[in-house]
Amino acid sequence: MTRGRINRRQALKLMGAMGAGPFLAAGGRIPPAAAGGSAGRVVVVGGGFGGATLAKYLKRFDPAVEVTLVEPSRRHFTCPFSNLYLGGLYEFDALGHGYEELVRRYGVQVIHSMADDVDADARTVRLAGGETLSWDRLVLSPGIDIRWGELEGYTRAAAEKAPHAWQAGPQTHLLKKQLEAMEDGGTFILVAPENPFRCPPGPYERVAMVANYFKSHKPRSKILLLDAKDNFSKQGLFLDGWRHNYGEMIEWVGRSHDGGVVRVDADRLEVETEFGTLHQASVLNVVPPQRAGFIAQRAGVTDASGWVPVEPRTFASRKVPGVYVIGDATEAAPMPKSGFCANAQGKVTAAAIVADLAGVDGPDPSWANTCYSTVAPGYGISVAGVYGVREGHIAELAGGVSPADADAAFRRREAEYAVAWYRAITQDTWGTA
Amino acid sequence: MMSRRMVKSAMWLVGGVLLLISPLSPAWAAAPPWERVEAVRAVLGGETPVPGGIRLDLPLVSQDGSAVPLTVEVESPMTVDDHVEAIHLFSTGNPTPEIAVIRLTPEAGRARVTMRVRLNESQSVVAVARTNTGRFHAVARDVRVTVSGCLARGNDFDDASFMLARVRAPDRFSPGQPGEVLTLINHPMETGLRQNGDGNLIPQRIIHRVVAEVNGSAVMEAELHRSVAANPYLRFFVAPTAGGTLAVRWDEDGGESTVQEVPLRLP
Ligand SMILES: Cc1cc2nc3c(=O)[nH]c(=O)nc-3n(C[C@H](O)[C@H](O)[C@H](O)COP(=O)(O)OP(=O)(O)OC[C@H]3O[C@@H](n4cnc5c(N)ncnc54)[C@H](O)[C@@H]3O)c2cc1C
Repeated sequence: MTRGRINRRQALKLMGAMGAGPFLAAGGRIPPAAAGGSAGRVVVVGGGFGGATLAKYLKRFDPAVEVTLVEPSRRHFTCPFSNLYLGGLYEFDALGHGYEELVRRYGVQVIHSMADDVDADARTVRLAGGETLSWDRLVLSPGIDIRWGELEGYTRAAAEKAPHAWQAGPQTHLLKKQLEAMEDGGTFILVAPENPFRCPPGPYERVAMVANYFKSHKPRSKILLLDAKDNFSKQGLFLDGWRHNYGEMIEWVGRSHDGGVVRVDADRLEVETEFGTLHQASVLNVVPPQRAGFIAQRAGVTDASGWVPVEPRTFASRKVPGVYVIGDATEAAPMPKSGFCANAQGKVTAAAIVADLAGVDGPDPSWANTCYSTVAPGYGISVAGVYGVREGHIAELAGGVSPADADAAFRRREAEYAVAWYRAITQDTWGTA
Repeated sequence: MMSRRMVKSAMWLVGGVLLLISPLSPAWAAAPPWERVEAVRAVLGGETPVPGGIRLDLPLVSQDGSAVPLTVEVESPMTVDDHVEAIHLFSTGNPTPEIAVIRLTPEAGRARVTMRVRLNESQSVVAVARTNTGRFHAVARDVRVTVSGCLARGNDFDDASFMLARVRAPDRFSPGQPGEVLTLINHPMETGLRQNGDGNLIPQRIIHRVVAEVNGSAVMEAELHRSVAANPYLRFFVAPTAGGTLAVRWDEDGGESTVQEVPLRLP
């Protein structure tokens, strides 16, 4: 037992020295604790970017921790690069990632089920089948749920006619089919929400990818982006990139020009703005208001905003002891709700949990993020940030966007980096690039 | 992103104001924010607000300090004998504390206003309401701002839409029942704190007044300051007793005005 402790302490020291964060991936395996001794039971809910990364890195940091991952799908289809699928630049199948590496190589127990409820006092999770799992520490990385009905008329049924495609899967296929069935000369309308929402540059990359599809298949078509905001991620770069690649095809209307949509009529593919303008679409894509995945609410970790407040150093819940939450479900601003951030948070929080179980202080956190957006084939742009904790809050310590005046070769390289980034992050998260 | 130079000048000004309002003793720190801000004390004039009766809604965390949604509502019957006369909004962390003063008459029907404000940094926002009977209500709310409001656009303002105004009223009112009116005007709301490319301050130029009249008599008058977000957006209530016209007028520092009229329909 004592020996196991020492090993874990050494491991923790090593983690501290390397600085937990994405770069921790370079570290080797850590020696296991004394045979037979479990270092604690951790249940992870959600096998997306946050949860899969966390489960794997827990095992890398301390194989003596028992890790169970609960995730309904056998393959997770990523939102990152789903816009490229819509644009005709990527195969849908290449977006799917399984859990073989987590199981075989790292010894994570994966249960393909939905977590239905959490009992924080008894420290259990109930699964859809009725089974319960006990935990010493619980991690939730459930991503987002849609706030159905928050935008008038946008219900589950409406999403079957006016898809959101903000969770990759059947919704993405539906949108793709609608785009393919649309006549040339039609209007694609995308409705973008207020902050905070999953993937701040996502709506703007999406219209670019739809434009790419239209350019070669339906060149007389129009794209209208109705936005509940007056400014958005990488705005200048997107506006230039749209114009450069697609001329006047994409029109963006911000909130102060009456771009805020207040009502959706999915049967008529019609939307109404705040000041009463009606817009008619041929294909209507609504990115609706969101909140943390429902299990977060069941666990009692959300606040009035519907998102989860966390301790910045560890991403431990501020409301329920023993529960950690990472990824899109959290209020981690200024960190964006991105797959890259969820992955980085997975590593930092894995280190924090190993430290917590061992009863020692965890390392000082540092997170990094880069969001690439593909505007056109061979035309990429990015925003990068480095984050740490200052005065008890998460703060952006450094960051920036691609230069406004970059040449074609620069934009081409960034499009290539985007593909390399996707391969690297899916390899790091699921081992299945 | 705001330029480094702008950060400096804004910070300096913030520092200057903080010198006046910063808590000097623990007793000050414990006092409600409205007792710590000189401009708020001036409005209260030595009176103590009665507890409750006022609500201020702001997001807990704002990712864009250049336009933070704010709603303030005061519980009031809005009768001739008992109504809210004015709602004052203050920032405790901007270069200047005043955000806006909204003056109401009983014809507003409901003392509730929604707008968008600029917040330079994380801070408390204060609302103080005064009734015709001389009663005060006050409330403060903390907001965490992760991107500074001094990102104040203006350089990318679309000049073609300058002073373009919009008004939307409910399709139909019930006599005497309040209905919400939405207004929006395109204006950069230049703060006077930004520098141009040569390092000179761009002079302040803002919409400083919005007046709403029902059939010729004022129902709401808003005095706006530089902490109101670009493209001022204002929602308020009117409770007309007869059909007619709602006229909204905006006045700005450059001497320009715009009026928009919409019909008020009653059964
Ligand atoms: C169009 C689009 C493009 C994007 N592009 C990028 C990009 O280029 N780069 C980038 O970094 N990010 C991008 N993102 C954002 C990225 O998808 C998210 O930030 C990321 O998926 C968040 O990870 P997560 O772990 O929080 O949630 P997810 O990855 O969504 O994972 C959540 C998982 O939890 C499971 N789950 C939910 N509830 C339960 C439950 N009760 N029980 C069991 N399992 C549950 C779900 O099945 C899911 O597999 C994009 C998003 C969109 C919509």
